Amino acid sequence: MTSVLAVLTFVPLLGVLFLLLMPKSQQNMIRTIGILTTIIPLGLALMLYAGFDSASGDMQFVQQLKWITIPVGQMAMAINFEFGIDGLSMPLVVLTSVVVAMASLVGMKIKDRLKEFYALLLVMEMGMLGVFTSLNLFQFFVFFEFTIIPMFFFMGIWGYVNREKAALKFLIYNGVGSAILLIVFAVIFVNIWTLNFKEITMAFTDPNSPFNIPNTMGYLSENFRLGLFIALLLAFAIKIPIAPFHTWMLAAYKESNAAAIMISSGVLIKIGGYGLIRMNAAFFPEWMDKLGTAIAILGVINILYGAVLALAQNELKLMLAYSSVSHMGIVLLGLAAMNAEGFQGAIFQMVSHGLIAALLFYIIELINERTGTTDIRELGGLAKSMPVLSGVLLTVTMAAIGLPGTSGFVSEFMSYLGLFNAHPIIAAVGALGIILTAVYLLRSILGATFGPIRETHESLIDARSYELVPMVVILGLVIIIGVYPALLSGPMQETLINIVPRIGG
Amino acid sequence: MEILANAWLIPLFPLLAFVIILAFGRRLKESAAIVGILANAASLVIALLVFFERFAKGAGDYLNSSFEWLTIAGHSITMGFEVNQLNAVMLVVVTLVSTMVNIYSKGYMHGDNRLHVFYQYLALFTFSMLGVVLSPNLLQLYIFWELVGVCSFLLIGFYFYKPEARAAAKKAFIVTRIGDVGLFIAIALLYWWVGSFNYSDIFAAVNSGTLLSWQITLVGILVFVAAVGKSGQFPLHTWLPDAMEGPTPVSALIHAATMVAAGVYLVARMFELYLGSDIATNVVAYVGGFTAIFAASIGLTQRDIKRVLAYSTVSQLGYMMLALGAASAAGYISGTFHLMTHAFFKALLFLAAGSVIHAAHTQDIFEMGGLGKKMKTTMIVFLIGCLAISGIFPFAGYWSKEEILVATLASGRIDLFIAAVVAAFFTAFYMFRLFFLTFTGPEKVPQGVQVHESPKVMTYPMIVLAILAVVAGFINTPWKPALGDWMTQGMSFAHGGHESAPFWVTILAVGISLLGIFLSWLMYGKRSISNGNTARAFGPLYTLSYRKYFIDEIYHAIVVVPLRALGKVADLFDRYIIDGLVRLVASFTYGVGAAGSRVQNGQVQGYGAMMLVGLVILLITALVAGGLFVS
Repeated sequence: MTSVLAVLTFVPLLGVLFLLLMPKSQQNMIRTIGILTTIIPLGLALMLYAGFDSASGDMQFVQQLKWITIPVGQMAMAINFEFGIDGLSMPLVVLTSVVVAMASLVGMKIKDRLKEFYALLLVMEMGMLGVFTSLNLFQFFVFFEFTIIPMFFFMGIWGYVNREKAALKFLIYNGVGSAILLIVFAVIFVNIWTLNFKEITMAFTDPNSPFNIPNTMGYLSENFRLGLFIALLLAFAIKIPIAPFHTWMLAAYKESNAAAIMISSGVLIKIGGYGLIRMNAAFFPEWMDKLGTAIAILGVINILYGAVLALAQNELKLMLAYSSVSHMGIVLLGLAAMNAEGFQGAIFQMVSHGLIAALLFYIIELINERTGTTDIRELGGLAKSMPVLSGVLLTVTMAAIGLPGTSGFVSEFMSYLGLFNAHPIIAAVGALGIILTAVYLLRSILGATFGPIRETHESLIDARSYELVPMVVILGLVIIIGVYPALLSGPMQETLINIVPRIGG
Repeated sequence: MEILANAWLIPLFPLLAFVIILAFGRRLKESAAIVGILANAASLVIALLVFFERFAKGAGDYLNSSFEWLTIAGHSITMGFEVNQLNAVMLVVVTLVSTMVNIYSKGYMHGDNRLHVFYQYLALFTFSMLGVVLSPNLLQLYIFWELVGVCSFLLIGFYFYKPEARAAAKKAFIVTRIGDVGLFIAIALLYWWVGSFNYSDIFAAVNSGTLLSWQITLVGILVFVAAVGKSGQFPLHTWLPDAMEGPTPVSALIHAATMVAAGVYLVARMFELYLGSDIATNVVAYVGGFTAIFAASIGLTQRDIKRVLAYSTVSQLGYMMLALGAASAAGYISGTFHLMTHAFFKALLFLAAGSVIHAAHTQDIFEMGGLGKKMKTTMIVFLIGCLAISGIFPFAGYWSKEEILVATLASGRIDLFIAAVVAAFFTAFYMFRLFFLTFTGPEKVPQGVQVHESPKVMTYPMIVLAILAVVAGFINTPWKPALGDWMTQGMSFAHGGHESAPFWVTILAVGISLLGIFLSWLMYGKRSISNGNTARAFGPLYTLSYRKYFIDEIYHAIVVVPLRALGKVADLFDRYIIDGLVRLVASFTYGVGAAGSRVQNGQVQGYGAMMLVGLVILLITALVAGGLFVS
């Protein structure tokens, strides 16, 4: 078990290797390899879940591998591969492996450049798994880049008319974000001379650390920390995205292929939330606390702004993009609460929204593929010709609305619960989002599936068996978490207890 | 074996039925109905056993709250179930009406190729409704509360291809959700103020003073907001009449007997909290009393048989709230008692209306007439329902409604007492207006339509409910208030003696109802007063009532239109201001990039040099920002 994380992270590369050896014409073989390769990390991730020690709040399955040494003056600075997961990253690792495995099924429809499709998908999977399992900033950054560049190509090659423009926009935004991250990481490194998360956290928060004692050599001033905090916040704000940095998402979701959107909305944007907890909250708890009100307000703006805009969209994919903005606002609410309830809500919301958004986009793309449109004015009554697909769509919509019995409710509930202690007025204003979410989602989803059907849509094919797989798997997880959330909350407890007291909320 | 400890079996059967029909529905086809009926019958049997054990044998309350559902910060939130007097009654009411509706639907929905879907939703609803009733804490109640809401939504939208059904389903979901946010916030506040969602802990906090009085008031009002949404009280009543787009058996079960009464149940379950706040009970009483007369006045002029019944439901639920708002043992008893009797006679009325619609193929009462000759059973049971809801001695409604009037009078709210009496007059009038227009007079149904009595599978359930509409009241008579005494046993607000009802209240209540029936008979039975003339005589008042006080139009103007406009404005802002700025920055960058591209001459050395420059810039920036140069 000791090397399981390294295996988990790099095993997708093995699939890439196999794919490179395959002749282009063997499309079915390529699909089989591509899909099967995603099953391995999924299996390993589930093993991690099973083997995870809920009684411990520390990093588990820790492993170090020698990587590179950089000469720094007289010393040799070693940068190692350091893998590990705790109650925060483990759920996200499972989420990643699930979403990628489901997204791999999108390849069933791809005919053009199929090999590249799976190769890029697997490289991205490695990048995402690496981001969540990394224990140091350098490694985090390298894997982070491995999510952005392949995604750029992934969006640019398979999708709709304006896909290249959309991909470029994605790249520019995310490039700016990673440039900021790089600078912050460099600044941290040259000041603290370590890249390890735990050591950085100790350096910034341990009262005995030389960086925390005023009037000594290494003392890092409050303003210096604030600068880093803001820079990190900005980088992750682009990722989540926090309005007004959300417009890359609109183009990207409108123009790219189903797998790209599933991965982006399912996993990539969660890196933003992950970073806010792993870095902002862990390194600079005092600023997280002081700026709690501001973050709560940003969260409420995201929720309401996203919801009002979602209400104005006729394009289902744009509606869902704004809905993502709104739902990620809930993550911010949870974080702004500065208590265990809120943090747990935020993590739950990341997992829950990851699953729900991935499935929603998947189904919308199935509709697009059959009808050639995602404009609700041109749709309607689809429940008649596609009862199963529409039924699943309506169910997962209910999960997005936050219906109890689904993961959506538990996440939303805990995030708001947390905030009601810290900022009751802001929370009450944010609660308007609970109503608006129902308004815009029902308007658009019922608009597409209920009401009279168009003649041309009367004999559409309902969900095919392989299309049912993501529906059953993801919906199953959404419901399991909703009915018995202790399955997810159990492993988080000790980790949260580790993180939260430092915030002092 | 102690049956109370096995009360969890009651919701289990409908859940199983749901799963079976979900999995095998397409193969089961019409046998799905059998699955639904059997599951409900099984639940009914156990519910009766539980009630019997609790009522006759006087077993104590049962509480099991040991299932660890979620842990937060090491603190575990548990789920479970409880059996007490209040929910023992509710269990019987829900399973009984549900069983009858399940049987009835087998006939009513016969031939519908989505019958299995109907039974699937129905089973899920019954499961959820029983979940609401059995919940030992507010969070669990909320979970099931939302689930019944979604079942209601699905069933209202059962004929999903009709635009009206889609609109009604959406409206029901959204309007009730507005109310639900109140409960959501109340639960969140209680978590921090009390540290528990359990009813017993909340009441303990109320009684011990842990909860300050403003907190009690706030929580009470927030909880009541949810009850207002669910129970169709003013101003969130607008969804309930539209909900009549659903199949009629659904209207009987969900929108008359059970789910809409959940709001009343919630207030009753939280009664000990309400006793701690005069402001909250005043709100409950006045909203309830106002709704009772307000909705009744709309019912006077509607033409759609189901809508009249819907407004009548709203009005009757208002009576129940009014009773609970009295904040006395008498109010508690009469409110829940009326919930029970109303469930029977209103379910009956809806099923009978369904039978009429089934035969006449119209819902407009002015297109019916003379149906009684061919539909004797339906006419008789409908008449029983009308007499019961009008509060005529000795039908079920008489006992419960009179108790409400007595409790209201005792609470000293004379204004509400008068409103309730006037509403009773309206009720008798519009119910018999329905009766006379539908069953008596000349036949109006067009030649082609073959009017016939409904099959036995539909009439038998109606007969069962009709019997209950006659006898159910005797469980709690002024001289032997068996139900009331039992319901308040062990309650903090129980009191020994029974409220002595002034005899004139009975005379007044029955008298005013008889007057309403008489007037109705003059206008629609004997037809000696032309209703066209009456409508003209009342002019604007008639229009106001017929157009439902323009509430829908007002909401459209002050909520829907501004929200849409806001959406449009925000969309333009996002498109042109925010993304416009982005494009501006991008085009600037592009300019720089174009200049930079001249540097890209394809020589590897050149790239290497550029990279070095970049790295140096980066490092310098880092060092400056890092503060190393500033000491």
